[in-house]
Amino acid sequence: MSEHVHNRLAVVRTERKVSRQHLAEAVGVHYQTIGYIERGQYNPSLDLALKIAKFFGLPVEALFSLEPFRPLTDEIYGRKTS
Amino acid sequence: MTTTRLTRYDRSMLRLMNDRRARPLYATAPRRRLVVGAHLALSAAIGALVAYSGLGAGEPVWPFVAVAVLLLPWMVATGAINAATRGLLELRERALDERQSAERSRVRARAHRATTLLLAAIAVVLLVAGAAGGKALTVYAAPVVVAVLAVHWLMPLWVAGLTVQDEPADSDGLTA
Repeated sequence: MSEHVHNRLAVVRTERKVSRQHLAEAVGVHYQTIGYIERGQYNPSLDLALKIAKFFGLPVEALFSLEPFRPLTDEIYGRKTS
Repeated sequence: MTTTRLTRYDRSMLRLMNDRRARPLYATAPRRRLVVGAHLALSAAIGALVAYSGLGAGEPVWPFVAVAVLLLPWMVATGAINAATRGLLELRERALDERQSAERSRVRARAHRATTLLLAAIAVVLLVAGAAGGKALTVYAAPVVVAVLAVHWLMPLWVAGLTVQDEPADSDGLTA
């Protein structure tokens, strides 16, 4: 039983110039765990997802979703997906 | 992983298990397989030497000297596997985060299945040999029990070493 949870953690982390080590220490996990989440190889618990969202000051659905995320440029510039 | 509850021992073990100096030994999956294979072979050789002495078939001293010599590379291989898994099986539960705890449970479950199959095979072989009229059950009972104990102890380490994934690459240029 492994539902895939999509995330845009890598994009947000890079945009905020936060290292994996820094984020990992802030949310209390090993830095490899951040890498596994970014690669979609590990789905975080609700507790961890909320901690990560809180760290970035974003709602959790901005970082994690059951549906694939639209590209950020599409969201910003409003291009409609065909 | 809640760092506030970690003892000095936990923190020192955490540092030790995350020491990357020996990384070239286990950086890729083929190298990890090689290290696990070497560890398995060394464990088997050490076990065979101990059994040889235990059965009274060998000279009294040389098997122990050989075991002492083999123990050094065995310890190096053990350390390499533990470092590759970041101490998945060595660290206390409180020093692991949620992904590592889940991974440890998975590794132990796989090791349990593998050990069960191995024990079943050994039991069948011993029973068949015993039924054939040999003295296998009495002669080999002690070495087999020692071997079973060693396999039970080391199987999780071998499974962990074989299933550990490559380190996620930090492609964004930020320090890991």
